[in-house]
This record gives sequence, structure tokens and C-alpha cells, in this order.
Amino acid sequence: MKSRTVALVLMLPALLLLAAVFVYPLLRYGWLSLHASSVLTGLVPVPNGGANWGRLLDDARFWTDAGQTLRFALCSVALELVGGLALALLLHRPLRGRGPLRALTLLPWALPTTVMALGWRWILNDPHGPLNAAIRSLGGSSYGFLSTPATTWFFVVLADVWKTMPFVALLLLAGLQTIPLDLEEALRLEGASRLQILRRLTLPLLVPYISLAVLFRLAQALGVFDLIQVLTGGGPAGSTESLALYAYLNAMRFLDFGYASTVMLATFLLLLVSLGGGWLLLRRHGLARTTERAA
Amino acid sequence: MRLLALLWSLGPLLWQLRTSLLRPEALVAPLPEGNPWTLANYQLVLSGDPPFWQYLANSTLVGLATTLLTLLLAVPCAYGLQTLRGPIRWGVGLALVAAAMFPTVLLFLALLEIARNFGLANNLLALSLPYAALSLPLAVLLLRAAFADLPGELEDAARLEGLGLGQRLRFVLLPLLGPALASTAILVFLASWNEYAIALTWISRSDLLTLPIAIARIGGGSVFTIPYGAFAAATVLGSLPLLLLVLLAQRSIVSGLTRGAVKG
Repeated sequence: MKSRTVALVLMLPALLLLAAVFVYPLLRYGWLSLHASSVLTGLVPVPNGGANWGRLLDDARFWTDAGQTLRFALCSVALELVGGLALALLLHRPLRGRGPLRALTLLPWALPTTVMALGWRWILNDPHGPLNAAIRSLGGSSYGFLSTPATTWFFVVLADVWKTMPFVALLLLAGLQTIPLDLEEALRLEGASRLQILRRLTLPLLVPYISLAVLFRLAQALGVFDLIQVLTGGGPAGSTESLALYAYLNAMRFLDFGYASTVMLATFLLLLVSLGGGWLLLRRHGLARTTERAA
Repeated sequence: MRLLALLWSLGPLLWQLRTSLLRPEALVAPLPEGNPWTLANYQLVLSGDPPFWQYLANSTLVGLATTLLTLLLAVPCAYGLQTLRGPIRWGVGLALVAAAMFPTVLLFLALLEIARNFGLANNLLALSLPYAALSLPLAVLLLRAAFADLPGELEDAARLEGLGLGQRLRFVLLPLLGPALASTAILVFLASWNEYAIALTWISRSDLLTLPIAIARIGGGSVFTIPYGAFAAATVLGSLPLLLLVLLAQRSIVSGLTRGAVKG
């Protein structure tokens, strides 16, 4: 009993700070979302009987942004997973200069998102950026990477993949390091090719790490904000606007805190649903994989 | 393969380096004659008001304060969590994982209200409070895994010697946690150095901006007016400390993240 009390006391300061920063905002949003609090009310919260939630259901921009955010997150996580796996396999091999190689490939993840978001803005610049210069030197004409509503979202995904792929690679590398070498050796002696080893041994054993990376990255990608704010500002024509950016604009530009809180809370709920769905899917798939291997 | 990985990771950065060393006219079209290379972009950035190194100093201050505060809170919490059994341990662990995954941008509005009510805006040290909270979940999980790896007999022996809890932590357990503390500290420092949404809303005085905000402000105008040369110079200067940190601490970072994955 006594050591238990000591443990709780030791944990208290950290838990209090966590509650203030993570739990309080959600409660506050819940309360604010049931109030009108904007320039019209002099920023004083006035109960408005759930009008914010009614507005949300009819808000085409919210649902468009929800779709765009989901598209961004799914594409980004899928590409990161494939690229991250390739990178992890490369970094796992006992190559000369592996330490520096790990450090240098890790660098994009360590840099502030905004820094390279502006870097990408220059690289994708129309017409002066290097990518367009390369296209022209090959005989093509400049392409508005960041000004074509139909395709700009994909280049935002690319910039995100560049930054976060090393993180996924590291998580998968952690998984690779837990696989005993003699298992691989045994399969090789049986005459299995490298692709077969990957499919029959490596991938099934990586499932927990892949799940972890997917869930973690999915949560982060669904809350994407700084990359989009700096790279495109949500444009062109709102085609890359994310839910978090929409919530931010509601609060800081339209000064509508009641509705901004509603959007944030709705984003959080969508996030929970997506993650729950993703988890179930991964679990079923993971179990299928494991039984397949056992058979 | 190695070359491809390096090209993909470093290509965009090297292009920034090249841009930062070119005269503005040379960015738009190849110069007909003359030397296109210049250091003028760096002079411009370093002689700005406030000078660029001020942002580096601000970010370093916030990063150090955050790291210190996080470790001060996370070490006792991790130790306490490790000694607990039963549903509380399980519940707190799960809550920590959930908090570690939470997209922090969704917190900024309520945190901004707190900052206004308590007069914490435009205060770099106060900024380390929310930053410490954002880093705590991962830090506690990493350190709890490290505590779990220590042999239990060690602490029992120290207890029999009559050492109190504070002494056991300070003289017996913490010295053995060196590597885990180092990698946790580096990850916390990096996260604080790179945070955007909260710094964006808490700090408005231009001499107090952290690096990510300052750099985003350079590009704050329209797409067409960004001084790309000066901006690239700022990117290079802002990346150098991180390049050094990652090169020096690569082993710590990798082991920290991988341990977190294995144990978490």
C-alpha cells in the first residue's frame, strides 16, 4: 500500500501537466462547441443550443476538407510504408559506412517541417524551380506543381513522405533487429530466394511494427497542419486544405472560437473512428498473416 | 541503392545550399557572364533585425528548458509507473500511448486561452510548459522501458543498505540509465526545436520567435515575393545545428526510437 502511494505521488506532477495540456482542451472544446463565441458575440461565449454542430453537418467545406485530409493521410502513410520498408532493409544490411548513412537518411525527419516546406516551395516553383527547369531541358513546358488544383495534393503528399519516411524506416528497423539471423539463414539453406524470405519470414514478423508505424503515422497525418500551411496555405482553390488548417483558420482568421472548437472536436472524433477502423483492419490482417505462416 | 537513398534524402537540402550561394538574378536565368556565386544571402540574413542567430538562440533556450523540465517530470513518473502493478499501470500506459499519438495542432486553441489567462504569451520559458507536456508521453514510455531493464536485485540491495528513494534514484539507478536519458533528451530537444502550431500562436514578438516560425514568416508573403536566396541561406543556417546533432547522436536517436518501438 505504501509503495503504491509513493508511486502515485511520483507520477502526480507529470500526470497533472498532461491533464492540463491534453484533457482540459478537449473538455473546453466540448463546452465551447455548445456556445457561440465570435466577433458577433464580442468573443463572449453565449449558449446557442447546438447550432455549431448543425452548421457542421451542413458545412460543405468541412466535409470536403475531411475527404482531402483522409486522402492525404492514406496516400502518405501507404507511400511511407513502402519507402520506409525499403530504407529499413537497406539500413539493416551490414554495409560499410552504415552509421553515417543512417544519420544522413534520418536528417529530413530531424529538420523543422516549415523549413523544408519552404524548400519544397522553391523546388516546385513555377517556372523557376529546379524541377521545372529539368522538365524544360527535356523539352517539356513548365508545370504548375503548386497551382493545379487537381494534382497539387499529390506533391504535398510527396513532401510529407520525404520528411516522415525516415521515421517509419527506423521503427521498422527496430523490428528487423529482433529477427534472429539464423532463421533467415535456415530459409536460405532451404533454397528460398530473397523475395521469398521477405514474404514468408520478414514481413510476418514485422506486422506489429508495421501496425505501430501505421497507427502512429495515420494519427499524425490526419492532423497535418504546418506542412500545408507553409507549402500551399491550403490552396490552390482550397484543394489541399486539411481539417486542422480549417480549424485554425476558423479560430485565428474568422475569430469564431465556438465553431473552431466544434471543428477541432469533430476532427478528433473522425481521427478516433479512422484509427479504430485501421486498428481492426490491421488486427484481422495481422492474424491472417500469422495463421498463414503457421499453416 | 545507398546512393539512391542519399540522393533522395539529401538532394533537396543540397539544392537549398546551392540556392543560398547564388545571386538572385542567377536563380531565374543563367547569367550571361560574371560569377554567379555570392555570400550576400548569408550577409542579408545575419544582418536582419533581429539577426538570424537570435532565432537560433531562442530555439536553443526553449529546447534546453523543455528537455530539462521533461526529464525532471518524466524520471519520477517512469519510476513510479514501473513499480505499480494492476489496472492503474495499464490505464496510465494506454493513456500515454494515446497522448503520444495525439496531433498536437488540435490543442492550440485551448492552450492559447490558457496562455492569455495566465500571461504566458511571449515568454520563451513558459513555452516549455506545453512542450514538456507534448514530449512527456514518449519520454515516460522510453524511461519506463529503461527502468524495467535494470535488474531488480540492484535496487533491493541498495534498499537493504538503508538508501532512501531519492538516494537510490540518484546514486544507483540514474547512473545506469545514462544512454536512455541521453536518447530521450535528444528526442525531446528535437521535438521542441521543430514545434510549430503552439509557438505560432503563443509568440508574436519578432525578437522572441523560434526558428520554425521565423523561417515560415520569411515566406509569409505571396508565392511570388519570397526571397528564395535569403530563405535558402536561413534554411542552411537553421539546419546546421541539427545536422551536427544528428551526426553526433545518430546512435542515441536510433536506439532511443527503436527501444521505444520494441517496448512500447
